[in-house]
Amino acid sequence: MAAAARSIRRQAWLPGRATGLAVLAATLCAAPVLAVAWIALTGETGDYLRHLAGTRLPTYLTSSAVVALIAAAGSGLIGTSLGWLIARTDFFGRRTLGWVLILPLAVPAYVAAYAWLDLSHAGGPLQALTGGLFPTIRGSWGAGLMFAFVLYPYVYLLARNAFAAQSADAYNAARTLGAGPFYAFWRTSLPMARPAIAAGLALVVMESLADYGTVSHLGAPTLSIGLIRAWSGAGSLVDAARLSLVLVLVAILVFGLERAQRSRARNINAAGRHKPAPRLQLTGLTALAAFLACLLPLLLGMLIPLGRLGWLALRTEAASGLAAASLHSLTLAGITALIAAALGLGTAYALRSRTVMATLAARAAGLGYAVPGAVAAVGVIALLSGTQALIDPAWRALTGDVFPVLLTSTGAALVLAYLSRFAAAAISPAETALARITPSLDGAARTLGATPRRRVWQIHWPLIAAGVTSAGLLVFVEVLKELPATMILRPFNYDTLAIIAHNFASDERLGEAALPSLLIPLVALLPMVFVARYLSRQDR
Amino acid sequence: MREEGLINQIGCAMKTVKLLALGAGIALAACSQPAANDGDSARVVNVYSARHYSSDDAIYAAFTEQTGIAVNLVSAGGDQLIERVRADGERSPADVIITVDAARLHRAEEAGLFAQTDFGALTDTIPANLVDPQGYWVSIAKRARVIAYSSTRVQPGDIETYEDLADPRWQGRFCVRSSGNAYNQSLLASIVARSGEEAAEAWAQGVVDNMARAPQGGDTTQLEGIAAGECDLAVVNHYYYALMANSDEPARQAASETVSLLFPNQQGSGTHINVSGAGIAANAPHPDEARALIEFFFSADAQRMFAEMTNEIPVIADTAWENPTLEAMLPFVEDERNVSELGDHNATAQRIFDRVGWQ
Repeated sequence: MAAAARSIRRQAWLPGRATGLAVLAATLCAAPVLAVAWIALTGETGDYLRHLAGTRLPTYLTSSAVVALIAAAGSGLIGTSLGWLIARTDFFGRRTLGWVLILPLAVPAYVAAYAWLDLSHAGGPLQALTGGLFPTIRGSWGAGLMFAFVLYPYVYLLARNAFAAQSADAYNAARTLGAGPFYAFWRTSLPMARPAIAAGLALVVMESLADYGTVSHLGAPTLSIGLIRAWSGAGSLVDAARLSLVLVLVAILVFGLERAQRSRARNINAAGRHKPAPRLQLTGLTALAAFLACLLPLLLGMLIPLGRLGWLALRTEAASGLAAASLHSLTLAGITALIAAALGLGTAYALRSRTVMATLAARAAGLGYAVPGAVAAVGVIALLSGTQALIDPAWRALTGDVFPVLLTSTGAALVLAYLSRFAAAAISPAETALARITPSLDGAARTLGATPRRRVWQIHWPLIAAGVTSAGLLVFVEVLKELPATMILRPFNYDTLAIIAHNFASDERLGEAALPSLLIPLVALLPMVFVARYLSRQDR
Repeated sequence: MREEGLINQIGCAMKTVKLLALGAGIALAACSQPAANDGDSARVVNVYSARHYSSDDAIYAAFTEQTGIAVNLVSAGGDQLIERVRADGERSPADVIITVDAARLHRAEEAGLFAQTDFGALTDTIPANLVDPQGYWVSIAKRARVIAYSSTRVQPGDIETYEDLADPRWQGRFCVRSSGNAYNQSLLASIVARSGEEAAEAWAQGVVDNMARAPQGGDTTQLEGIAAGECDLAVVNHYYYALMANSDEPARQAASETVSLLFPNQQGSGTHINVSGAGIAANAPHPDEARALIEFFFSADAQRMFAEMTNEIPVIADTAWENPTLEAMLPFVEDERNVSELGDHNATAQRIFDRVGWQ
């Protein structure tokens, strides 16, 4: 059976030109990380790493572990429960909450950290309000919480899609056998959604480990602090690149674990819309409880921190250039998201071919997520300046002139940097979505005489649309708040909202930082409304 | 047969994607080009700056108005800018490179990013310790790293020097930000320069033993820590206090009233200062415009804007400006060691921080 199924899949997705293209694109995304590895492995060896191993390295590792664990536990809990509530129950406000709950993702974690520390520091408003009982949000646990508050949408989005796609059979069977609703959920729905939840958690963990702004502000000495210090303090980019390889190894481990989850669950995750699960109607107090449960993460991740900033913004003169910056943010994020969604989908299809090349390229492309943005940007710069050094002499020999374009100063360089950083966020959801199209489904369609065109558009697309658009959306939001690569690679006079917000915040001018920070989620609303409406149309 | 059809379908889709991507790439490349071009008609200067203050926008606007030279700006962290200019090599469009920490200037100089420049008459108007001895860069504005103390729990005269911060009597009473911060690194580098590595390490250890809490937040966070009673002493750059004292938010302003500033080491080596500095890029496509901009930084206008808009201390002593908060802090005795030495000892300082566990 299994062998037959595999052979059908092979036949159905022979690696052709399409696969080749996707593999090529994925390789391009992986190139900056490879450039970082090149810097790490070929650079001069000093004694800084030995010094580090004898001093701060254990602290860096412990702190990273604490941050990642708290971020994963928190976002897993919030994301999974919200995903289930929105996908499987119905209560007042569910439709709107369904996409509003994604918005905290558009709050950069460092902005949330600035606001929360400002609110909760000794003598701050929260301590004054509670008579000094409210703890100051700081250290590794504080940073972990910040990531849980703003990154839970990764888990939520993927879990929601998984819950929504589940057939009700297993859950109903459990209920018939006398299990209560919660126990039935625990034993049937949750295990079936596990691959999606794991995919979300993997993204949360990697993003928390690669973060710099949040952990440095809250005083959580993670490994990425260590590698930025190696660079800025000891002046050794090579050692910074080497430390980032540790993060890459962690990423390989995390994504490996995630995929182990996925393959274990493949057989039980029966897809199909033949029997859509009816929503559990919540009324009265339970509906209110569900509503409040959805409101809580919104408060923690978005309304409270942005509310604080908004309050400060009211007392401050607005910074100039915000309209242009909004447009820049929107342009960069929009273009990158479209390309990323296509890339994610193409790579996911290529992965179905199960060729070694496709698998390697896709996995390597995902690793950029693990490298702190500042170092990843250096990878892009190294890659582009290396390419330039190859092109320039050839061009001069041909035309007698220098090559007209300086690669590092183009917008395309920026898009490449984004894609290489966020390919994982594009590939993972698309792959999870495509996993739901089982070989038997393809086989059935073929047996019934569906043409390839019909199979893609009428059978595949409705099943994967949510996953693919989610991928685009995730990348869109990531690009909106991306900082280090944007800073270093942007063309002249090209500010984005995240840059303006960060510049003021790092000057400790929170009031001025407030308005651009508020604008980031507002800009993110545009595609979210569009996607939400598109997906609900697909639902019908 | 059908399979081939399907593959073609996807192939087509991917081709469209590729075209889209290519189109987007070209569009992006195109939209980024005009800034890099320079006709004879329009004079431009390309600035890579680690500063991102409102005063700078005002200064560039004034410069353009006076000279007709347009300013193209990229701002990013000092180390990132250095990496970008280094990678672009001969083709780098950078004309002027500006950083906010002397150690970064030193690093850019070591990477060969600056052109050696005879700043001419300029060097007569500013103190010699603010100019790079090799002539690669000049300081354009100063900031002092000072001790903040609780007006109620610490008596003036209880503490006078940076060295005093390591005194065990302050155990559990000192707040400071992370040692990843360039200003802390340069402060320790200045102590290494003055007293040697061993003494500096003993000092850093003493300071860590006195900490009231693990380092967190920025300099403002430390000032708020004093106001809230979490600590009695902190080390901050002088302008963060000015920012707090002039805050539009009543609570913050009120908090600043319980905090006082002390300019340390007035009887001896002088207060540690750090600088923003600028130099002309080694491969500057517009060296004349670059020089014009750097000269403009020393104009009465620009120096006044540093003092009035960002509470920085002008490098030209007889500049006229109005800023009561800043005026109340001046004058003070400065550490007169050449600021370029801070770069020499930066790596040593970093290792000391690691060894003594200053987060």
